[in-house]
Formats: sequence, C-alpha cells, structure tokens
Amino acid sequence: MLTDRRVGALVLLGGLLTLLLWYLAPWAVPHRLFGGEGVLLNPFGHHLPLGSLPQGYRDTWLLPYFYLALAWLLLTLVLGFRAGPKGLYLLGGMGLGLFLLLAFLFYGSVGQANAPALAQGEPPPLRRFSLGLAAYATLAFSLYLLLLGRLRAPGGLAFLVRRRGAVVPLFSLLLAVLLGGLIVALIKESPGEAKGLREALMVKLDLIAYTYQLLFSPLVSLPGFLQSLLLATPLIFTGLAVALGFRGGLFNIGAPGQLILGAIAAMLVGVYLPGPRWLVLPLAILAAALAGGLWGALPGWLKARFGAHEVINTIMLNYVAASLLLFLISTNEYRFFGQPVYLPFKYPGYEARSYEIRPEARIPLWTDLLAPGGELSFALPLAFLLGLGGYFLVRKGLGYRVLAGLLGMVLGYLLGGLLPGPQVALGGELTSVRLNGSFLLALLALLFFHFYVFRSVGGYELRALGLAPKAAEYAGVSSGRKMVAILFLSGALAGLAATHYVLGGGIDEYRLKQSLPYSVGFDGIAVALMGQNTPLGVGLSAWLFGVLLTGGLQVNLQLGISRELVAVLQALIVLFIAAGGFLPRYFTDPLRAAEVELRAQEAGKGGAR
Amino acid sequence: MSLDAAFFLALLLSTLRQTTPLLLTALGGMFSERSGVVNIALEGIILFGALSAAVFVERMEASLGPAPWLPWAGVLVAMGVGGLVAWVHAVVSIRYRADQIVSGTAINLLALGAPSLVLTYFYGNATNSKEVQSRLPLLGPEGFALSPLVYLAFLLVPLAWWVLFKTPWGLRLRAVGEYPEAADTLGVNVYRMRYLGVVLSGVLAGLAGAYLSIGFLNQFVRGMSAGMGFIALAAMIFGKWHPVGILFSTLLFGFASALAIQLQGTDILPAVLVQAFPYVVTILVLAGFMGRSRPPGAVGKPYEK
Repeated sequence: MLTDRRVGALVLLGGLLTLLLWYLAPWAVPHRLFGGEGVLLNPFGHHLPLGSLPQGYRDTWLLPYFYLALAWLLLTLVLGFRAGPKGLYLLGGMGLGLFLLLAFLFYGSVGQANAPALAQGEPPPLRRFSLGLAAYATLAFSLYLLLLGRLRAPGGLAFLVRRRGAVVPLFSLLLAVLLGGLIVALIKESPGEAKGLREALMVKLDLIAYTYQLLFSPLVSLPGFLQSLLLATPLIFTGLAVALGFRGGLFNIGAPGQLILGAIAAMLVGVYLPGPRWLVLPLAILAAALAGGLWGALPGWLKARFGAHEVINTIMLNYVAASLLLFLISTNEYRFFGQPVYLPFKYPGYEARSYEIRPEARIPLWTDLLAPGGELSFALPLAFLLGLGGYFLVRKGLGYRVLAGLLGMVLGYLLGGLLPGPQVALGGELTSVRLNGSFLLALLALLFFHFYVFRSVGGYELRALGLAPKAAEYAGVSSGRKMVAILFLSGALAGLAATHYVLGGGIDEYRLKQSLPYSVGFDGIAVALMGQNTPLGVGLSAWLFGVLLTGGLQVNLQLGISRELVAVLQALIVLFIAAGGFLPRYFTDPLRAAEVELRAQEAGKGGAR
Repeated sequence: MSLDAAFFLALLLSTLRQTTPLLLTALGGMFSERSGVVNIALEGIILFGALSAAVFVERMEASLGPAPWLPWAGVLVAMGVGGLVAWVHAVVSIRYRADQIVSGTAINLLALGAPSLVLTYFYGNATNSKEVQSRLPLLGPEGFALSPLVYLAFLLVPLAWWVLFKTPWGLRLRAVGEYPEAADTLGVNVYRMRYLGVVLSGVLAGLAGAYLSIGFLNQFVRGMSAGMGFIALAAMIFGKWHPVGILFSTLLFGFASALAIQLQGTDILPAVLVQAFPYVVTILVLAGFMGRSRPPGAVGKPYEK
C-alpha cells in the first residue's frame, strides 16, 4: 500500500506545495493594521502598506534564513525518495527546528523594535504581529514528514487505522478548513493595494491565514478561553443528546425543540415556585430535563407504537415548540373563538420575554463559584479531588465506587467551603465572561454519558439496539420501550442545555427570551459526529466549536466576515465525516480495518523470523 | 370576520399555492427514494434554489434592467443549483456510502449558514435579499390568477406517473430502488440510476425554491422554506411513493397551511398556534398511516458491487 515510489511522490508533492507557499505567502507579519492589512515579509519582496515599520526594526536575517530553509527542502526532496522511517523522522525534526529558529529570529527582531518604547513606558509600536502562512507551511510539512515516517515504520498503517476515531474527524476538519479558506478568498476582497499578481496573491493568502488566526485566537487568550467554555456548555449537552440517540440507532434532530421545552419548564419553576435555594434550583434544573425528555419521548413513542420515522417527527416538533415559545411570551392576550384569554407569562414591554428568574433559582457565575467576595474558595477543587479519590480508592463494584465518589465530592465541597482562602483580584476582562455553573453540570453530563452508555446494563442494551436491532430484540431487549427511553434521555440532555441560557444567564439576562438560540440543538449534530459519539470526543469537539464561535466574533469584528462562516465550517465537517473524510475504505469499514491490522501483524511476525 | 364564500374561495386558491412547492418537492423526493436514496436534504435544497433564483434575478436586473425572460432564467438557475447540491449528496451517499440521513442533514445545516454569507456579500445584511421586480407572471382569469409553476406542478403528476410506471427508464429506476443486485445482474447501471434519481429530486426542489422566492414572494428571506422539505417527505411517505397518492397528501398539507394563513388575523384561534397546524398534521398523519405503507426495498442502503 505504501510503496517507496508512493512515499517519494507524497514527499515531492508536499515539498513542491511548501515551496509554492514559501514563494507566494508571507513568512511573517510584524505589523498589522486594522481591517486586516499588514506588513508582509517575504524574501522575494515585502508588502509594505502605509503606517509602516518603526526605526529599530531589522529583518536582514530573512534572506540567509531562506537559503538555509531551501537547502533543507532540497535535501528532503532528494532524500525523501529513498528515506526510511528514520530518515524521514530526521528530516521532519530538522524542519521543526527551522520553524522554531524562524520564530526565535522574528520575535527577537520585533522585541528589539519594541524595546525603546517599552523602556520609556510607552505603548510599543508593534502590537499585532504573527508568523505568516509560509512559516506554518514549514511546520505543516515537517509534521507531514514525521507522519510519513511513522507510516513507513512497521505496522504504521495499522497504527493510523486503529486511531480512525480521531483520524477521520481531524482529516475532515482539515478539509473543511481548506474549503473554508477558499470561501473566505471568494467572498472577501483583499485589504490594501498590491503591485503585481504575486503580491495580490500574497495579500489574499495572508487574509485567509489571518482569518484562521482570529478564529483560533481564543486558544491563546484567557478571556477568550473562558468565553469558549461558555459557548461550549450548551453544545456539550446537545452534542451528548444527539450522540446518545446515535448510540441507540436513533437520529434525534429534535434537540432545538427539546431545548425550548426545557427552557420553558426551567422558567416556570424558576419564576413561579417560591422556596429556598437548595430546593428551587435543583427543581428548576430537574424540570428542564424532564420537559426536554418528555418532548423527546413523544417521537420515540410514535416510532415504537406506529413506526413513524423519528427524524421527521423530531423536526416537526421543533416547529411546534417554537410556536409554543412564541405563544407563551410574545403577548398576554389571545382570543379563542372570540373569547379573550389572558396569560400571565410575558413581562410588560416591547420585547418578548418572561419575568426574571428568582435569585434562588439562578445558577451562580464562575466568579461566584471560584472566588466569592474576592476570596478564593477551595470548595470546588477539593470536591473534585475528594470525589476522584473516593471513586478510585474504593475497590468494589461500580455502584459503591460512584457512591464513594459522590460522598467525597460533598465532603470536599463542605470542607473547602469552611477553609479560608487567599484574596484574589480578577480583571474586568475576566469577570465580564458570564461562564456559569452550567458548565459543571455539562461535565457531570459527560460523566453520566460515560457511565450510563459504557458501564451499565441499560447502556449495553442501548448500544446493542444501535448496532444490531434484531439481535438485541432476540436477546430480550424490549425495543419499543427502549426506544422511548433512549429518546427520553436524549431529550433530557438537550433540555438541560436550557439551564445555561435561562437559569445561568447565558443570554445576558435571567429570563426566557425570544432570542433563545435554540439552533444550538442542530449544532449538536456536528458536535456528536465530530466527537464520534464518545464523551471525551463530544467534550473536545464542543470546546473546538466553542473556540470557533468565539473566534468567529473576532473575525466579524475585525474583518467584517459574517459569523455564519463558522456554521458553514460545521456543516462541511459533518458532510466530510459522513463521507469518512474521503479516506480509503479501511478507515470507515471495520472489516477492512481488521484486514489491515491482520496484515500488519503478519508482516511483523515475518520480520521477527 | 364571518366565514363566507369569499373566505372559502381565498382558502381554495391559497391551498393551491401552498400545495405547489410541497408537490414539486415531494415528487422529487419520490424519484430519489424510488432509486433507493433517502434525500432528507430537500429542505436545504429548496433554500439554495430560492436563494440562487432571487440573487440571480436581482443581480441581472441591476445590470440589465427588468426583462420578461429574467424570472424564467432565474427558475433555470435555481433548478441547476438544486441539481448541483443534490449531486453533492449523491456523491457522498452513493460513492462514499455515507449514512444518507447524516449526509442530508449536513446539507441542511449548510443551508442554514451559507445563505447568510452570500447575502452579506451581495447586500450587506444576513437575513434577506433585495426585492426583485421581475417576478414570475400570473396566469388565469381575473381573481383566479395563479403562478404558471402551480399549473406546472399539477401537470407533473401525470407525467411523473407515466415516466415512473410506463417507461423503461422508470422500470429501471424502481428496480434499482427495490433490489439493486437483481437490477445490476440485468445490466442496469445502479450508480448512474441513483445519481439521476437524486439529481432529479434536487432539480425539482430547486424549482420549488424558485417558486417561493420569485413566484410566491419577490425576495429571498432566511429560513423561508420553514420545514417544507420535511413536510414534503412526510407527504411522500403518506402518498405511498406514488404520484397520485402524493398529489392528495400534498393537497392535505397545503390545505392545512392555507387554513393556518386564512385563520390569521381572525379571532378564531391565535395566529402563533395556528402556524403550528401543518406540523401537527404531519405528525398525526405519520403516526396514523405509515405502518401500512411499504417503502422501496433498498431505500437508505448504500449499494456495493
């Protein structure tokens, strides 16, 4: 499969592409203006818009560095044809070193230019700088060489195929990013003037790279990171909801409707049920889960009883739920057959929204959980530690372990709450992020998914039903009842997503509003597929989409590209994952994957003999 | 307002108008499912068709000025775009053997986001296009004038019946959807028939989209399909994958939508609840009748030679 000649061709292809990008794309961007235009460094000629570089800036290192990199690339192209795994590792390692050297040189020269101003306590002249696409091409080509090296090592292909749960989504992400770049290039005209075709292409390529830098910028800033967790919270719930359905062989596209019903129930309890906090808050959360679950169970029952396909019914119920939401909070006066009917739910005023959730039913913000009153609290970390300890130290059945874990959590929470903590001051940028306790609920939901689906009898039945419905039925699973239960649980998870919005103030107010972003229910499909229906995968991909959504805001702000770019990327990822990342069949077909493994094992034995 | 003759006449005309996009889409879905491919992407394809028709006509108007042939060109563009989007679904689900429901859902998700990018590019807002002047003309006597696409949709019913049941092509299409192995043995190109079925469904859904944006309204509005693609699928199931059955089931749904529209502004039922009518009817119909109908044997299953 991976002959010498094929590896040689792959190296050649990658190398030529890298060379092309080196020629066309900027190597580094020391200074970027608002609107995306920047000073672009390239050994074949810079792009220098107005408002250029400060006096002390030097980039004389660029040309010698370029020749060094060129030497490496030529070496790779010549040796890559016959290099074994070790040779490819060496070449890839050298490339990584070159990338680090460039980063070192570039940040050094930027620091030098900024030094005088910083010494005088003034704002530095170069604030927005970054490595360019050509530098990332070097990095990507080095990693590609390392990957090829791993593939050439014995059992390399089997290694990759065994990890297809991660390979397919990541490859799909890569493809979607490439296609997304093309879309950006099409819909956004390049900022600034360009002399000649090469410079125009350089500016265009830089625009694409800058878009993705902004999209992924929450990875490198703390407020952005917290904001990405905030946006990931509802996605974890809806992603788990869809994933649970998938595991049971049911496709739940009804998460938006289940979310709406959850939000309505949470609002009803949160606004109208008086009582102490320890009673009202759990009841409100429970109500959200229950309402979402019942709304999900309905299509499950229709399927079990009448054989009506759940996909169409869940979608129809989304529309019905949206009407219900409008009915409750858009106005308080209706006429039924001429008779006036009054509802008590809408808050007076122009906007369609409910009354405020009572303070007792609100989910606290992260600042109140982590540092109430400016004093760091040990309650959560201790609860986490003791909970983990309780789970892993008890060596008995699962039930005992979970019980010990829960006890540990409660104990840790109480103990930590009593301990005095040091004073901390959080900046305004951090406290303005409205991340709330729903995030912890989402983490608990991930744990629940893991234990229910992979460690319980009910979960075993669920997976059996998903993999082989007939076999499960003959083995004694009551398929109808199970389908209702699966969609109930799935709907309950989607309903819990509403706690973030209504009880946690995720839409800036502790109310049910018409602007409830219930379409995150659809995004759950992308999250579940990207996460391959495993709890870890769902958590990570929800976070990835949280990052993209946060970054999408930056893209919109700085470049004026619609935030829907992120939605398009999500849809493309789903499409590509559905097609198995367009990878060879042994990545999608378990039987053929096993064939690859077997062949690798035989080859391994042959080598030993 | 009292329920008089004018009300019922308006209701009748409205039923015909509401049925048209459903009928076109459901007939398309029938060709796709008869060939063995579930096309749940119809909802998104309607949106892509509506978007491309409205944007194409508006852009052409901006450069050439209004012309009587422009909306017809827009209809053709919408059909082409619809066919193209369906072709993507076909490639992913036939060539790459993807789960057809997931692949279709991906295209629907794309149709939620992509129009905003296009609209922002052309018009600077993410929700609707500029209004077009060159709408499709109305045909018929004063007071009963309907869009030509309405007549076309109803004419397509006997045509689809004839193609599906009286031509060799229709026989092959059905064979491929029922029992592809047998069809393959007889020398029918299974993949090509399926591609044709899916692309045809996209062409018809694109036509339905054009009807919405330049026949029924005069602009593209975000989310203007409002679940029609899914309702059409339900109608197709209810109509037992048969053109005549589909005609009657889409008329039922069209009537439910028309009733919802006609009841708005009256004080009989609140408008927000009445809007949920067609969706509730869909659920009830699927629950009541689906058990008794039989889908094509190989529908939803990727074929492997």
